[in-house]
Amino acid sequence: MAQHYDVIVIGGGHNGLTNAAYLAKAGKKVLVLERRHVLGGAAVTEEIIPGFLFSECSYVVSLLRPEIIRDLDLPRHGLEILPLDGTFTPMPNGNYLWRMNDHGRTVREIRRHSRIDAEAYEEFSKMMTPMCRFVKPILSMIPPDPTTLRPKDLKQLHFLLQRFRDLSSDERYTLVQLMTMSAADFLDQWFETDVLKATMSASGIIGTFLGIRSPGTAYVLLHHYMGEIDGAFRSWGFSRGGTGAISNAIASAAREAGVEIRTKAAVSKIIVRNGRASGVALSSGEEITASVISSSVDPHLTFERFLDPSELPSDFLEEVKRYKFRGSSGKVNLALDGLPDFKCMPGDGAHLRGAMSISPSVEYMERGYDDAKYGNFSRRPYVDMVIPSLTDPSVAPPGKHVLSCFVQYAPYKLAQGTWDDQREAFGDNVINTLSEYIPNLKKIIVGRQVLTPLDLEREFGLTQGNIFQGELSLEQLFFLRPVPGWAYYKTPIESLYMCGSATHPGGGIMAAPGRIASQVILKEWKGARSAAKAGN
Amino acid sequence: MPLGQKVVVIGGGHNGLITAFYLAKGGFKPIVLERREMVGGGAVTEEFHPGFHASTLAHTLGPLRPDVARDLQVEKFDCQILQPDPRVFAPAPDGRALLFYSDIHKTAGGIARLSAKDGERYTQFAEALEEIAGVFAQLCSITPPAIDKPTPEDLWNLFKTGRGVRSLGKKRIFDLLRWGPMAVADFVAEFFETELIRATIAARGVFGTSLGPWSAGSTAVLLLRAAADANPVGSAAFTKGGLGRFTNALAEAAKQAGAEIRTNAEVRHIRTKNGAVVAVELGNGEEIAVEAVVSGVDPKRTFFQLLDATQLDPRFAQRMKNLRANGTVAKVNLALNDLPSFPSLAGTIGQDGFRSALSGRIHIGPEIDYLERAFDASKYGEFAAAPWLDVTIPTILDPSLAPEGKHVLSAYVQFAPYKLKQGSWKERASELGSTVIKTLSNYSPNLGNLVEAIQVITPADLEATYGFTGGHIFHGELALDQIFTMRPVLDWARYKTPIRGLFLCSNGTHPGNGLTGASGANAAKEIIHELR
Repeated sequence: MAQHYDVIVIGGGHNGLTNAAYLAKAGKKVLVLERRHVLGGAAVTEEIIPGFLFSECSYVVSLLRPEIIRDLDLPRHGLEILPLDGTFTPMPNGNYLWRMNDHGRTVREIRRHSRIDAEAYEEFSKMMTPMCRFVKPILSMIPPDPTTLRPKDLKQLHFLLQRFRDLSSDERYTLVQLMTMSAADFLDQWFETDVLKATMSASGIIGTFLGIRSPGTAYVLLHHYMGEIDGAFRSWGFSRGGTGAISNAIASAAREAGVEIRTKAAVSKIIVRNGRASGVALSSGEEITASVISSSVDPHLTFERFLDPSELPSDFLEEVKRYKFRGSSGKVNLALDGLPDFKCMPGDGAHLRGAMSISPSVEYMERGYDDAKYGNFSRRPYVDMVIPSLTDPSVAPPGKHVLSCFVQYAPYKLAQGTWDDQREAFGDNVINTLSEYIPNLKKIIVGRQVLTPLDLEREFGLTQGNIFQGELSLEQLFFLRPVPGWAYYKTPIESLYMCGSATHPGGGIMAAPGRIASQVILKEWKGARSAAKAGN
Repeated sequence: MPLGQKVVVIGGGHNGLITAFYLAKGGFKPIVLERREMVGGGAVTEEFHPGFHASTLAHTLGPLRPDVARDLQVEKFDCQILQPDPRVFAPAPDGRALLFYSDIHKTAGGIARLSAKDGERYTQFAEALEEIAGVFAQLCSITPPAIDKPTPEDLWNLFKTGRGVRSLGKKRIFDLLRWGPMAVADFVAEFFETELIRATIAARGVFGTSLGPWSAGSTAVLLLRAAADANPVGSAAFTKGGLGRFTNALAEAAKQAGAEIRTNAEVRHIRTKNGAVVAVELGNGEEIAVEAVVSGVDPKRTFFQLLDATQLDPRFAQRMKNLRANGTVAKVNLALNDLPSFPSLAGTIGQDGFRSALSGRIHIGPEIDYLERAFDASKYGEFAAAPWLDVTIPTILDPSLAPEGKHVLSAYVQFAPYKLKQGSWKERASELGSTVIKTLSNYSPNLGNLVEAIQVITPADLEATYGFTGGHIFHGELALDQIFTMRPVLDWARYKTPIRGLFLCSNGTHPGNGLTGASGANAAKEIIHELR
């Protein structure tokens, strides 16, 4: 008979691995089960085209919580973050906008477009710092239940209220705007340069099915802005060896702490006995028992696939069904045998070492969204791309390069046809769009991988292709994530927990959900033991 | 300050009149100064073509908040309220149609013919709205609390709100938290499967705003409106003689309470000294010395046109400048020589007959995507080629508005952006008129032949004629960032302003939502408290 574990973690993505590592460090016997042949989930690197290592899904890192890097000693396990400097936005008129980490240079660059905006940018950066400072502790917090009068929850709510009241009037004004406005409207108040507003607001829509003019996107903008804020280490960067190297470092830390990790081990069922999760069944038929099951996969898989509806309260199930995924993005990974030559800035240069953003105007961005609303991929999409091979030559053969393109919008549900029919048309459309700015692109492409939302679902287990395991919209954040009343990493099934991006604080390679969930699990474990003792 | 002091109310719109009424009751001597030749602001009756009268702008009542209605007793002043039932008639181009009655169950019965499931859900939806509306109504009746130093009354109000919220129960509280920031398209989809029902109800969340049904936060607008009338499609009440009768009655009530009302009296400037108001200057050069000024015109006009903006605290001015107030609504009024017919709807028109079906509001916007596409156009400075129309034919219940046998058709047109990308509104007004007739002709093919005259009120006219800055009929966008403690701007949502003696009472303040009188009544309470 197979052995019994304290905890089984479903899914070997960065959150599942983080969760496992923390639990093992606290002395638990942990098993991680990963369906695929590689670890990492969406934070994965694979050799899709011989010699080229693609960070297939997630391609840059910024939000990884510093306490996790510290606690798990990730640098020792091989984590190395290489800098990614700036965002370069080419414009159709031959001009460009190039924001860099060096604040002074960015301000000078913006001044080229607008003197007023250059001044406003200084003010803006000053204002965003306290905003991030306000939100940061919330990212490490178990959301309170706003409907109870339990002292613990009231204390937390009071803590939030007090922090809000401690802000200056101007800070409060900006904070409530960030929580309620659209990215475009918010930035309209600060800036006049169209391309600047378009590029900055782009980070407000990444991974969501919202347009830059949709209320709520200013918050996502803040969510992404946090990476840029304190010090070089936490600004945006590449992980050496690709994004998968982050997962591998966490896996290595987990193994060192005693975690057992199995790949090609697809969970097909969570076994429930007397209302209590007691193990999992694999698709091979094998059954493994554990005292606690921690699921890092999304609520759809956890509750609608791995469990039988009859095992869940109907109102909970209804909320799970209502949870919105709505994937909106795809990925095009290109293998190149030369470097892209931008029309507006020919040749090699520092601009190729940062992010390059196809977001020339607010209207361009919004029209891209309009296409998606009615079930079409954007005729002219927003593309955010990087060439990691320039910074980390290990990911491509000498002299060759990888161009990793994040593409939005690509709605999961197409009005016509299927993604299987549309995949290549989607890829061609992206390459055509890019070619308008990079005339030599088609000539240097030696291989491509096109990932549609459907592929993200099939390959990586991201339901409807949502890269954050569920929309980061206001009604699915904080104490509402993933479902109201169950934002505390617990589920209606005893000893079954959630620890993925579908829980607070959500997606991006933060690993915060995995860590917070481990704290909840450990606390409940202690509670259960003392309760058992009291019973004796 | 002594009672009997002079207070000027700028603007004789419904909120200005209601504030004046309460101030007079409170022992002050308010003078209402109205720029136009009649009171009413956005709620007036005008003869737009010889013999044809229409509620040119607002065409149905709010309704008034119950306590305000009780206090003013408008029915005493020649103001007869007509309550059409069905309230809303929603046709689809394929010949299907729905009737929304005051009676939820009667409506549900009709819906059930399209979808049994939706018929059932409609009752649940109406109940949910009713429950939540109670909490929102309470919130709409209070002055938004001061965040830094809440007054004892603020705390009491918050306690009452908290108690109201808690009485909803855990599930509803979470629903409320979830629904508020949601897109209204998602909200209605949680209940209904039929597009026509979804669109008719969702429209209420985007009326007069720069939001489409897929815009996040549009549910909050719908819930706010449900506070005034919890019926899922809202109210559809008229005044006999047009809405001008209603605002005239408000004026009469205010006069009887002791207010003075002057029309053709345009305030050009509010004069201040040492940060306090001292006088208002009229267009004819007259000056009135005042102790206090209450502005019933929109906040932007108040601060940037009536005041010397250089006197404002720059941070306050910046916030006020940021107030989003670009309108998306136009109005088209048609003089018709007969009642339009809707032949394709003959079978679905309902048991009470054709005239009855058309007697309330007619909703032309059969699908969520239809509404969203209409909104899309406005984002790029275009008016919708197939606009959403909220139509009334008031002459069915009130023939006195038109020559015998003839009719008036009045349509709110959405979306029509204040700023056009091409051409000016003056050049394009008639094109908008044709667009409306074309849209209506899809349902009533003979309409074009019945038209005797067209009046098009564009967003530019809303600004020039009616004084709505940016053409925004609610004096400022209704959205998550501009409601409650943030209306018009954070820290100044308590009807006071940084200028001593200057107050706001218009729809640009909390709750600021149509002809309910709530802003005016709330403001009066604060002003009386402040001046005493």
